[in-house]
Amino acid sequence: MVVSGLSLLLGLLIYVAIIGTFGVSPLDALTSVARAFVTPTVVKDLLVLSMLGYALLVAFKASLWNIGGEGQFYISMLPGIVFTLYLFNPEQGGAIPPFAVVLLSVIGGSLLAAAWAALAGAIKAYLQIDEVPVTVIMNYVVYYLLNFLVWGPLKGKRTYGYLRTDEIPSVYRLNFRLPMLYISDPALSFLYSIARQVAYYSSFVVGASLAAVFVWWVFKFTKLGLYIRIMGSNPNYLRATGVNTRVLAVATMALSGAMVGFAGSLYLLTELGRLPYELERQTAGYGYLAVLVAWLSLLDYRLVPLSAYIVSALRNAGTTIQVAGLGGVEQTLILIGSVLLVYSLTRFLIEYEVRVEW
Amino acid sequence: MHHDGRVAVSVKDLRKSFPGGVTALDGVSLDIHFGEILALLGENGSGKSTLVKVLYGIYAPDSGEVRVNIGGKLTRVLINEPIEAMHYGIVLVSQVPQLIDKLSVAENLAITLSSLKWKGATSLSGVSRVSSVIEKECERLGLKIDPNEKVYNLTYTLKQQVELLRALTIGARVLLLDEVLTYLPTREKKRFYDILLKLRKEGRSIVLITHKLPEAFEVSDRIAVMRNGKILGVVNAGEITLQEVRSMMFGAAVKLLINDKTPSRKAGKTLGGEEIVVEQLHVKDDYGRDAVRGVNLVVRKGEIVGIAGVAGNGQRELLEAVVGLRRPERGIVRIAGLDITKRGARLARSLGVSFIPDRPLEYGCSVDHSVLDNMAVPFSLTNGLLLRWGRLREIAEKVIGEYQVVAPGVDASLKSLSGGNIMKVVVSKEIESASRAIVAHNPTRALDEVSAAFVRQRIRSRAERDRLAVLMASEDLDEVLRMSDVVYVANSGRLYGPLDPESTPREEVEKLMVM
Repeated sequence: MVVSGLSLLLGLLIYVAIIGTFGVSPLDALTSVARAFVTPTVVKDLLVLSMLGYALLVAFKASLWNIGGEGQFYISMLPGIVFTLYLFNPEQGGAIPPFAVVLLSVIGGSLLAAAWAALAGAIKAYLQIDEVPVTVIMNYVVYYLLNFLVWGPLKGKRTYGYLRTDEIPSVYRLNFRLPMLYISDPALSFLYSIARQVAYYSSFVVGASLAAVFVWWVFKFTKLGLYIRIMGSNPNYLRATGVNTRVLAVATMALSGAMVGFAGSLYLLTELGRLPYELERQTAGYGYLAVLVAWLSLLDYRLVPLSAYIVSALRNAGTTIQVAGLGGVEQTLILIGSVLLVYSLTRFLIEYEVRVEW
Repeated sequence: MHHDGRVAVSVKDLRKSFPGGVTALDGVSLDIHFGEILALLGENGSGKSTLVKVLYGIYAPDSGEVRVNIGGKLTRVLINEPIEAMHYGIVLVSQVPQLIDKLSVAENLAITLSSLKWKGATSLSGVSRVSSVIEKECERLGLKIDPNEKVYNLTYTLKQQVELLRALTIGARVLLLDEVLTYLPTREKKRFYDILLKLRKEGRSIVLITHKLPEAFEVSDRIAVMRNGKILGVVNAGEITLQEVRSMMFGAAVKLLINDKTPSRKAGKTLGGEEIVVEQLHVKDDYGRDAVRGVNLVVRKGEIVGIAGVAGNGQRELLEAVVGLRRPERGIVRIAGLDITKRGARLARSLGVSFIPDRPLEYGCSVDHSVLDNMAVPFSLTNGLLLRWGRLREIAEKVIGEYQVVAPGVDASLKSLSGGNIMKVVVSKEIESASRAIVAHNPTRALDEVSAAFVRQRIRSRAERDRLAVLMASEDLDEVLRMSDVVYVANSGRLYGPLDPESTPREEVEKLMVM
């Protein structure tokens, strides 16, 4: 808790110091960052990052550092695209009811992402290759795989010359729009804009709540949860009691991946609506931000939403900074990078003694 | 009375409690004199280790003071970390040798010296300087240690001697020996005593932390008894009997020790079918050397088979192979008639075999988790996916009550318990969760006499009443002789036996151990 708070504070100071050297007033910068915490747009990121934070927490609890959230997130969109645009396209006479297609897309997405993550788990468990580089490399495999598909077989027909897939038919979309209202009172207007965001992303609200309850249930009541927790601190104990820790590692990664995939399919159906070309240039980087969310929560499931809120606000600070005319979007990266850096350093300094000898 | 009356270290009214409400030290005052061997006795969780850790700078006391003799004057000090304790000449030698296996003896010592007083001790020339210091010290004390030997080649006894050497080379004036002698074979223990007496003569203070009473009587000048975080008394060793100290340590629980001495032997015992069968087993150790060389063994239902032997003679590898944790090179392990060789620990467990490992902290528990979580793993009571937490909690509460684990409750994290109490958790869950056989390595290590007696009683009763097969290796020869129906001796990877523990003279067994 203290470490997380301290990292946030020191990270902010470093950020202010860096942009200060370019002549930006610290006060202006901090005001913009503060404003990001209360913009309505923070709602979406908060919900998505909560789902992903919970997903990664499952793997992190077992000391499996799943940095592949990004790849698992996007690969999970593939079944959704195939089901909604090709197999069950309503224009070709939808054979099954829309909710079933949505359900299939979500289940298919979760399973595919689970398999993708399980692959990294298996490489770790059976070939003893560290999961961190493997999951990162696999993110790029997903980027290029999807690029290839969007560029080729899945290229849309009604895209006005843009290189991307067609848009998912609206019957399969999960967003829910409240009407635009003109409200003169600024406070009410602000509240209504939040309500519109929440309604629009109601599928994420359901998804994040499910993720939270599911993680709580797994760790509190199931044998798998107990094993995952113990694997994180002493896998030898499990081995000595006859638990196959290799299978457990694969299963844990699969579970984490399935949860990422669940979030990914919802994101496709609610927000994205199609796959763009050159995915790696267009992603929001949720898979990586979720790593930060899980870390900042100190792997305490009660703190995941709070930590997701902080990270979302920092991410949105990029926009508010731009709007304030203080610089470009790279600033978000400097900001988030500074927080992460301080966090890693403090954790390191707490766990190890550092001595300088000469 | 050997000491000259000068106080080396004095503690006054030390208090220390841990989160969860365990009071480990409850106003401890004690003087340690130069030139004496002081035995610090107490049951598990009585506060011995905490006291020593405060002196060694591992724990900070909540209140109270520590004074150290500096230049003839007792000066109040704050010891924040071991390095500072070493500066004052206070050095701890623990039960588990704190050495790096892959380095040589000299390199290990050089690392400590470099962080303490010798700049550049870890350089090549530094290490050779350290080597010559080691050789000189060895000659003085009559030890045989090659400074260039890799630590993993050393026996347990030699590792302990290296630890002692390290303490001396960094200038220890007050040596805190935490259960160092407990697992040495009798002969080597006697040699260790000689060294301690020599060190005492040089005016050093030696604090011997032990739960083995005879050990305290054999060598110490004074005996301090701790209980519930208090020092009950400090007496001269000649002025009190072993029985009196025992009653002081354990109070009413001392009764249990009387039962411990009457083994129930084969008399009237009908042995059942073969539960564990080992044939021509060959197993390698972690360094690829042959640790078990052609062992044959049978354990029947209701039978306790004990393996005596000095540590490092293949016991660990043998037991690990029996429970499926280590792949044998050749040979067969059968449990309940089923060939489980090379089929992994899962199968052995599912057949109802539990395992008390030699390295309980590494293989027997997870200290970051609660007592309940740790117990839930081997008991593993489930309804489908769900653990039956309610039932598991009942079992855990019953077990920690029976084994008298000193803990605020079953939800307490294991690392908040004392070493002995962690061991009780490890041992109890394995003994109570077994349904066919118990394979145990040093099951009472780190337990005080009363707890050890209780554990032995439970193992015996599970063998007799529940007809479990028990295969037990212990470095404590008394324990093996007292408990077993059949005794084997492990030496250099082979088993000698079977011997009848009643008719075989102890000397003969010891001879087999060290031949």
